[in-house]
Amino acid sequence: MTAATDAPVRHLPPRTAWAAPLSAARLLRLELRRNAMPWILLPIAALFWFDSYRPGAATPPIWVLRTFWNMGQGHTIIDFGPFVAGVAAWMGSRDGRRRTADLVTATSRPRYAAQLATWAATAGWAAGAYLAFVGVLFGVYAHQGLQGSPPWWWVAVGAAAVTAFSAAGFTIGALYPSRFAAPVAAFGGFLAMTMSSQTGFSHASGWALILPTNSNGNYQPVSGIFYPYLPDLPIARVMFLAGIAVVALGLLGLPASAGGPLLRRAAAVVTLAGVAVAGTAVGLAATARLEPHGMVIPALHDTANDRPISYTPVCGRATGVPVCLNRAYRSLMPDVTAALRPMLGEVAGLPGAPARATQVGGAYSSTEGEAGQAMTISGHPPVLSMALDAENLPGVFGGTPALFAAQLRLLFAHAFVGAGDGAGTPAQQAVQAALLQGAGVPFARQPRMLASLGLPSWALATVHSAGGHGPGRATGPVYAAARRLAALSPAARHAWLASHLPALQAGLLPLAQLP
Amino acid sequence: MNVELTDLTRRFGRTTAVAGVSLHTGPGVFGLLGPNGAGKTTLLRMTATVIPPTSGRLRLLGRDPGGYEPRREIRRRLGYLPQNLGYYPGFTVAEFVEYFALLKDMPPGRVPQAVAAAIEHVGLGDRARARLRTLSGGMLRRAGIAQAIVNEPELLLLDEPTAGLDPEQRVAFRGLLRELGQRATVIVSTHLVEDVGAACSEVALMEQGRIVFHGTPAELTARGEGSGAAGDAPLERGYSAVLAAARSTTAARA
Repeated sequence: MTAATDAPVRHLPPRTAWAAPLSAARLLRLELRRNAMPWILLPIAALFWFDSYRPGAATPPIWVLRTFWNMGQGHTIIDFGPFVAGVAAWMGSRDGRRRTADLVTATSRPRYAAQLATWAATAGWAAGAYLAFVGVLFGVYAHQGLQGSPPWWWVAVGAAAVTAFSAAGFTIGALYPSRFAAPVAAFGGFLAMTMSSQTGFSHASGWALILPTNSNGNYQPVSGIFYPYLPDLPIARVMFLAGIAVVALGLLGLPASAGGPLLRRAAAVVTLAGVAVAGTAVGLAATARLEPHGMVIPALHDTANDRPISYTPVCGRATGVPVCLNRAYRSLMPDVTAALRPMLGEVAGLPGAPARATQVGGAYSSTEGEAGQAMTISGHPPVLSMALDAENLPGVFGGTPALFAAQLRLLFAHAFVGAGDGAGTPAQQAVQAALLQGAGVPFARQPRMLASLGLPSWALATVHSAGGHGPGRATGPVYAAARRLAALSPAARHAWLASHLPALQAGLLPLAQLP
Repeated sequence: MNVELTDLTRRFGRTTAVAGVSLHTGPGVFGLLGPNGAGKTTLLRMTATVIPPTSGRLRLLGRDPGGYEPRREIRRRLGYLPQNLGYYPGFTVAEFVEYFALLKDMPPGRVPQAVAAAIEHVGLGDRARARLRTLSGGMLRRAGIAQAIVNEPELLLLDEPTAGLDPEQRVAFRGLLRELGQRATVIVSTHLVEDVGAACSEVALMEQGRIVFHGTPAELTARGEGSGAAGDAPLERGYSAVLAAARSTTAARA
């Protein structure tokens, strides 16, 4: 049974070379206009304000310190990631939820291409919003006159992370289209962020450094001030996140409904390429090691980034001694000179007393924040070198000006007695305690202060070796000797120090020889 | 022939939705009638290249949709309105139609005019900028028809196109069908026999996955004459008579 009319086949106009990109651009414009991502930006903005901006607002006006929380610890990524994954899954599941799959399938453009347009709009909104939010954040910081330089590489990591979240979420939504895809993807994103952050507590090196919110080695306090931010780890993370995004988008093109055999083969190749890129990045991260100025990945390292940033210091005076700081730290000049003044007064005229104090960049070792001795006195005439970035600066991790001053005095006294990187001999510990007492840090406060965070490891060792009974008590033979020395008149103490200082600094003076 | 279906079968698990259907048709409006579950929608989905047949041969617009490139060419020339029209509530009518025009690989320069023409054709010109979520069921159906005809298809597949349309719109739609049938093969699946009578030059009736009648509306009407079958209109009585005969044959075989 047939109808007998034959139809002439109409010849459609041939597709021109520019037709495909122009159609893709029009599709993208439509998708951008009707994307769900803008609806979620307001809650993200609120979270961003409370979680990324406010916690760092009280830190010193230095880029590397003020962005440590939001960029170094990855809070901007945490604020965006789960939301972006959820909304991307919502967009990815659109054809399934809206029952338009048949309509889209019956069109000539491969479904993969249509999905990529939807994803591109979703990712464009997400990454664009991320960059805009961070741009506003950095604009505010610049307006506040922050010193140093912004951590641009970590902005790139954040944008790559947001893009990867959007790709992963979209693919989940497209492959498992249901109304539950969005909450599942958002929760998965949150879980991934939490695990990434938590892994940082137990993995300060190795493959886990690739995780986007593992904060180990991301920042050094010298970055952007004394030395450039090292791009090694950010490059590896961008590679990893780009690899994840590529894998997710490649998987989208594998189902039979995605398009023709060539396109699906290409999608398979893209997926494998993404796996290779992400795997390479993990391998690179495993070779990372913390060097004095940041995390170095040998295969990616450019030695040009090891060159210090030249700067003209700003100088003040404490008891007649010039005190010079990096310009980035100039706001701390009053705190530093006030802290050094009593110590310099105590040792003035003694052999080895600093003729000048100058700030140097800290040299970091395996434990973040630990910069060895943090202060040294060396040279002729003697120069006090201070790695201020290693300290609990006021506003950083709950640090106060009083704690900052006390720590500077401790570090000065420790350097002056020649204790080096260790706790020092009992005699050195006793003189150190007496000097601190003379500079306004009472004996009773000293054990607790030595146990405070942010000091080199020798500080805590001093508490235990000084014969005290825990950080709350300044007792034992060391403190007994220190009390005797402190009880002398300033002139007598000065005279005793003048005669015994070489032996003390050489570690040859027994505790019994203290007055 | 624009549509050549030969012994086409589609199974979903143990259920045979379409059982050995053969159908050849050229330009004109072809009505596909049948009760719920007869297999009309599955047949249209196969013809729209959305799902492949389990067995049988399918040629559309002179091409075999089994191959990817021929299938793409068919789809460029295809218009399809599914029974359950999905839509994006946030899109406007114009955006919705433009979206599918672009997915059908229309030359980008022609898209704006084609979209405007399609929307005018279905009488939604004054609602072109309205979001789909604000439209009534009938208007949505018309927006669905607009996306189906935007590329001036050579093969137009409409599954229950008049569902939700008011009588005035249905009359207008039948006129549109006749106009489209001048230059394309239009297959209309419907429950509403009066639509078939008014617009179709050829009709098939499906029951349990098989075609139990294929002819003109006049021939279907003739089957009902003197049969005593239920129905308010001659065509309805023909429909009922053919169905009753098919069912009794099936029962006798069982």
